[in-house]
This record gives sequence, structure tokens and C-alpha cells, in this order.
Amino acid sequence: MIDILLMILTGIGVAFFGFVLQTSIAGVNRKVVARVQKRYGPKWYQEFLDIFKLLSKRSVTHGWIFDFGVIMALGVIIGTAMFMPLTSSFMAFDGYDNFFIFVYLIAVGMLGMAMSASGSGNPLASIGVMRALTTMLAYEVPFMIVVLTIIKLTGTSSLSEIGLFQQVAGNSWFLIALPIGGIVAVMALMGMLGKKPFETYIAPAEIASGPMVEYGGKQLGMLFIMHEITVFIEVSLFVHLFLGGAENIVLFIVKYFVVYTILNIISSVYGRFKIDQVVLFFYKWPLIMAITQAFIAIYLGWVI
Amino acid sequence: MTVEFLILVALASGILAYFVGRLNKVLGAVVTIVASMFIFIMIGYMMQDINAGTTFNYNAVEYMPDFVTFMVTYLGLFFAILVTFIFAMVSFFNPFFVEKYKYPALYSMLYLFSLAGVLGVFLTDNFMVLFFFFEFIVWSGLFLIPLGKNNKAAISYYAFSTAGSFALLYAIFIMFAETGSYNLHLGLATVSGTTEGTYVLALLAFAAFAKLGAFPLNVWLPRALGKAPDPITAVFSGGLEKLGAFVAVLALVKLAPVGDIAGTLGGLTEATFLFASQYIVATLGAMTIIFGTLMAIRQDDAKKLLAYSSMSNGGYILVALSLGGTLGLSGGLYHIVAHALASAAAFLAIGAVSRVTGTTKMSELGGMIHKMPVTYMVYLIAIISMAGIPPMGGFISKWLIFQAVIDNGLILIAVAVFFGSIGSFLYVFRPLAALFLGQELPQHRDKAKEAPFFMLLPMLILSGLIVFTGVMPNIFLDFINDVIAELGGTGLLLGDYTITGVNGVLQPTLIASVFGVGVLIAFIIFILLKKSKKVGLMDTYTAGNFIYTEELMHYSLDFYAPLERLYEKHINITKDFYKKLENKVVDFGRMVKYFFFTNKPEITVFWIIILIGFLLWGEL
Repeated sequence: MIDILLMILTGIGVAFFGFVLQTSIAGVNRKVVARVQKRYGPKWYQEFLDIFKLLSKRSVTHGWIFDFGVIMALGVIIGTAMFMPLTSSFMAFDGYDNFFIFVYLIAVGMLGMAMSASGSGNPLASIGVMRALTTMLAYEVPFMIVVLTIIKLTGTSSLSEIGLFQQVAGNSWFLIALPIGGIVAVMALMGMLGKKPFETYIAPAEIASGPMVEYGGKQLGMLFIMHEITVFIEVSLFVHLFLGGAENIVLFIVKYFVVYTILNIISSVYGRFKIDQVVLFFYKWPLIMAITQAFIAIYLGWVI
Repeated sequence: MTVEFLILVALASGILAYFVGRLNKVLGAVVTIVASMFIFIMIGYMMQDINAGTTFNYNAVEYMPDFVTFMVTYLGLFFAILVTFIFAMVSFFNPFFVEKYKYPALYSMLYLFSLAGVLGVFLTDNFMVLFFFFEFIVWSGLFLIPLGKNNKAAISYYAFSTAGSFALLYAIFIMFAETGSYNLHLGLATVSGTTEGTYVLALLAFAAFAKLGAFPLNVWLPRALGKAPDPITAVFSGGLEKLGAFVAVLALVKLAPVGDIAGTLGGLTEATFLFASQYIVATLGAMTIIFGTLMAIRQDDAKKLLAYSSMSNGGYILVALSLGGTLGLSGGLYHIVAHALASAAAFLAIGAVSRVTGTTKMSELGGMIHKMPVTYMVYLIAIISMAGIPPMGGFISKWLIFQAVIDNGLILIAVAVFFGSIGSFLYVFRPLAALFLGQELPQHRDKAKEAPFFMLLPMLILSGLIVFTGVMPNIFLDFINDVIAELGGTGLLLGDYTITGVNGVLQPTLIASVFGVGVLIAFIIFILLKKSKKVGLMDTYTAGNFIYTEELMHYSLDFYAPLERLYEKHINITKDFYKKLENKVVDFGRMVKYFFFTNKPEITVFWIIILIGFLLWGEL
């Protein structure tokens, strides 16, 4: 019993660590992007200020489903983050860091947010939700095919074991071992994070900031927290799957920072796709590349 | 308690329901509840017996030797208990719906007759009995479906079902010719691995595809399920469609796969062998998934949408069963359970809405959650399971199926499987957003109210089971392991709370508890912060426009328009094919009529010449 409590507390610690880490790095990245665009940029802790300000404000609600969706979204994302291994040996629930759990639990978070947004009764929010789900349909399939290749090669779907597999002498990171798949994964990750050119569902100045249009105060603050933890999960997935996991926590933070910053820099120079262009884009080159990579790696055994 | 007794009970109570129904419509429907609950409980007892191992063969009674025999097997019991459970749950809806239909007494009778058919199909070891009850269900369905919106759907259903039944019959004849007996197990075992086995496999697969509504025999499914009475839709999707899965198990698992070994594909470490027949069925299953998903996304009728989702889930079952092996089999069988529960619950929820509003079109509905919160929660739990998200039952089966696909290294089938899985978020969300959420439309605001207790009861039981199958799946997987052992395979490795797959261990209970902890934390954060002010649904941000009508603020029509635009040109492929086939059949009929049933003199002269020529053959 004490064991389980301890594990759960560790898990909550992991989720909290993820939140702090991602929020700080997001703050730093606001500065990085500002420099790319020749601005000065806000302080690195601006994101924390935003969230705490929102949490302390009074807000409006559109009925119980509006609140329930927010609670479900944040709660499930916290639950998902609790499974995330930080290094290849440190995680709250040893042996249960199954890749599919992350993919599907993130979807529950999305569902909660979508439900809450639709429950607000604002059609702009529904349009945002529609675009978010459509984007998800686009990026998820190529990404899953690349991960299929990795699972087939390593024989495990546990994130930490995939990380350890890459650390064995003679095996290189999957970003290098599967170069075509690696490119696909980077593109899919940009879609997951909602970075340009795939930020159609938020689309500032077009659909009044997408699914979030009706939110304010604590609901918005909670969704911000949820967003930060979701980003933490998605970037960590990439680090564990493609960048050889992490031997220690410092290496994890460094890899995490590099991935997130590079994506932000790429994103800051792009325009935005229309939603059907997003779908067409992902089902053309990334999917073909992912399938090619899978064929090469699984059937021909050509792995660098 | 023998099988034939239960079948007789079902038939007798069907007739009783008819006569009671003639006197009082609702009372006739109540008979269906009592009878189907009784049969479900009796089947439950049978399960206890079979688990105790004492009376495994207790009703292999032979009336006419080799002609009418029944037998309880793990496989049959697995399907029987599932489908009778769905029948029992749905029957609670009957009293609230019968009054809407033209022949309420007939409805109650046929409902129980199909239940009798289900028992006969699953609990026999004789092919002729199986075929008889198979046809009996088709026949009952033929009269049940037109009680709904129109009878064109019934014709379509009948055409495809009959084609499937004939395929089944030919398969039976081939096996009879080989063995001289109608014994199911003997027949399948004898033809297995021979040339006849190939034909039998093809014919049985055809029957299974027709019953499951799999591509390319899918046309009837959305029509029939979209138009049938609401409770019948739930029974079809949750129960009767699973007849196809049963036949698929017979064809794909009990018969040896046929064809060349298509290769030693799939691995650096180990070679995985798949036969041509397995590839073909898996490919068709994959096409079923993609086709069903794409069509479900663009439906406006909630029932049709769920019908296409049933089709796509049938595809998962086919893919899993055709791949076989421990993971494929247990994934497929578990998916049958998970989908039966989820789709029955979803259809019942939609049925409850349609009862108060009179429509299932999403563009005409909105904001039902404010009047029907419990129904909404039932639908939510059902779709979470359908989309394969933890902690519901659908996740377990999808996890197993994914592993089977990955382990076999089937990349293109994996594309379909993943696409269907992500696509299911899209389509299940549509009724959620358009029908339950969004603006509360004025035309339903006064009429709508929460469903009565006896309608909520089965929905809540189903929801509870959906969650239970996701949190404690080992109880069900244990039984599935028995089924697999009977089929000659090895079962899954199960711990107290864990399931071990090829590439990972899953502990569903842990996932559910962590899920709970997370939601608890979020709830505490929410409660501790300042209370929010409640505002109306129309009090929203409109970018400066003044809008006072709810319809204008409700986004429900063509929800995924940008996505639909990408493929809307290609949606009629199967429909066009069958239209062409229909035209060909009509043409052929015209030709036959022209030559044989006409009073035109020239045709008569033609036949006379032919006849004279025939008589004088060899004389000239």
C-alpha cells in the first residue's frame, strides 16, 4: 500500500516537474523567437505569471459540462504525465510506460477540452475543435507508422526500454538510424504541438483563437497548465523514441530544450496551412516516407 | 436446463408476447423483457456449469441422429452470453417504443424469435441446425426492419443476408459431401487443409462478410441500421452482427488457412508466416475500416453514423481474427465484447434522444445535455470505449490488435488500423458535439426530458460494464483464454492485474487509478479557485455581431466539411457497383421475360423452330 502511494506521489512529482520544466522552457523560447523576429521578448518567467494571474481571476461558466470538460482534460493529462519516464531508469511506474498509453491518454485530454469547448455553445469554438481533430487525423498516422517500425525493431513498446536500446553500444539514435522516419517524426511533432505551419486550429486572428475562445479565468488557466503538460509529454516522447532516451536528468533537460527550441525556430519563419492542406500534406509525403522507411527497416533490414 | 428447452421458451414466449400484445401493446413488450432476462440468466448458469467442468456435454442430445443436435462449447457460450445479454438489456426499451410501430404485437414476437435464433446458431454442433436458425434470424429481421422508417432498407438487408446464407449453405453441402454428416466440428476438421477447404473458407468468409457488413458487402448495414426501429438497431449492431463474427471464427480459426505462404515477411528476429487467405481477409478488413471511417465522418444521421462505425469495427474484428495467433485471437474476441457493449449503449442513448425529439438528424438537434445529462454520460462512456481510449474496454482490444498487426509487420494494414482508430475520434465526437452539446434549440426545449428510469437502467448497466471491461479485463480475458484453448491456440499470459503482450505489459487497473488520481487533482485545483459566474449559452463571444437565434450559433451541419471535400467524389464506389449489378440483373430478367414469357408471335415461331430442330436432331 505504501509502495503504491509512494509511486503515485512520485508520479505527481513527475507531472509537476514536467509542468515547471516546460513552462520555463516555453518562457525562454518566447525570448528566442522574439530575437528571431528582432524583438526583445518578455521575461523567461512570463508564462508562470500568465497562468497564476488567470487562476486568480473570477470567470464565467457556460454550464456543468464546460467545467467538467476542463477538469477531465487537465486531470487526464496529469495522469498521463505520471507515467512518463524522465530518464531511461527513473519513472514512477516501472515497466508500464507503454507507448500506446501516452498516445491514447493524450486523446482523452483532447476529448475533454473539445467537449468543454463545444459545451460553451460558441460556433467558433466548435470550428476550432473540428480543425484540431482533423489535424490529429493528419499527423497521427505517419507518426504511428514510424513508431511501429521502432517497436518492431526493438521488440518493446516501453519508452524507457526503447531509450535503453539506443544506448547500447553499436546502436545509434533512431533519428539517425531511421533518417527518413526521423524527418517524418519531426513533422508530426510539429503538428502535435500545433506549431506553424500546422497551427490551423488555433489560427490567431482567424477564428478568434480556436477552441479556447470562450475561456477566461481559472478555466483558461487550467487549460494553459494542461497545454504545458501535453507539450511536455509530446516532446519527451520524441526524446525517448528518437534521441536515445536519457541516461540522466541533465541530459534529458538538454535534449528536451534542444528539440523544443529548434521546433520553435523552424515554426517562427513559417506561414500557416489551410486545414485541408494540412491533411493533404501529411497524407502525401510524410505518409509515403513513413511507409518507405518501415519497408526498408523491417523487410530489408537496412538500419544505420 | 437444456438448450432446446431454452429455445422452446423463447419461441413460446414469442407467441405469448404476440397474443398478449394484441390485447395490450405495452404488456406484450414487457413479456420480451421477462423472457429475454430469463434466457440470459439461464445462459449465465450454463457458464457456471461449463466452468465447473461437470456438465460439459450435458445436452448433446440427439433427437434424430445426426439431424437435430445441440452442444455447448466455450466458443458458442461466449457468443451466446454476449448476445443474449445485449437482447436482455435492449428489451427494457421495448415497452417505450412499441406504441410507435404499426404492428406492436408482431414486433414483440419477432424480437423473441430472433433471440431463439441466436441460441440455435451458437449452441449447436450441427450445420443444418445452424443454417436453419441463421435463416430464422434473417427472416425475423426482414419483418422487424420495415417497422421503422421504410421498407426499402429491409429489401437491401434481405438481399445481402440471403446471399450470405446461400454461401453458408453451399459450404455446408461441400462439407457434407466430404464427411456424410452435418457435424460442424467433424466437417471443418475434415476439409481443413484440403482443396475443398479453400472453397469452404471462401464461402464461409463470404457469409461472414455479408453478416458483418464488411467491405464490399457493406451496402445494407447503414441502410438497415439507419432505418430500423431504435431498439432493433441496438440489437443488430450489438448482437446480430456478431453472427458474422461467429462465422468468421469458424472460417478463419477452425479451418486451416489456405494458399501459398505469402512470405517470410515481417522480421529481423523471427519469421512470421501468413497465408494468402489471411492476407486477403486482413486486407479486406483494412478496407472495411477505412471505408467505414470515412463514411461515418460525413453522415448527418446519428444512427447511420454509428452504423458505419459498426462496419469499421467489424473490420477490426476481421483483421484480428485473420491474423490469428494469441494476440490476434484474443484481441478479436475481446473487441467483439467491447464493441457489442459500446455500440449497444451508444445506440440506446441515441434511441432515447430520438424518443423525445422524434429525429436522429444531428442538424436538427442540439443541447440535449441540459435535459438529458444521464443519457449524455452513457453516450460519452460508450464513445470513449469505441474510440479505444483507456480506461474503457475498447482500449484493451485495440492494444491487442495493434500488437498483432505490429508483430506481423503488416505496414499497410497498420495504416488502416491506425487511421480507423484516430478517425473514430472524429466521428464519435460529432453526435457528442452536435446532438448533445452546443446551443439548446428552442423546438426541443420544452418537449425534451430525461429518459424514464427503466430506460436508464440498461444504459447504466451497459456503461458500468464498459468501464469494468476496461478496468478489470482479466476476468473476461480468462474466459476468452478458455475459448482460445478450445480452438487449439494458446491464451494470453495473464497476471493478477496485468496482461502480457508481445512487446509490453499492461496494467489496466493501474491506468484507471492513475486516471482517477489525475482527475482528483484537477478537481481539487478547480474547487479551490474562485467560483465562476454562470452565464447563458447565448452569452458568448460573437466578434461584435448581434445574434439572437440559437440555430445560427449552433455549428452542426457538415461538421468536417474541409475534410469531406477531399474525398467526397469517391464515396459512391460500392453503391455504384451494386447499382450496375442491379441493372445487369434487371436486364437479364428482361431478357428471360422476352424469351420465355411473351406472347409475341416471332418469339413463339423461334421456339417452335428450335423445338423442331431439336426433335429432328440427327434425322436431317
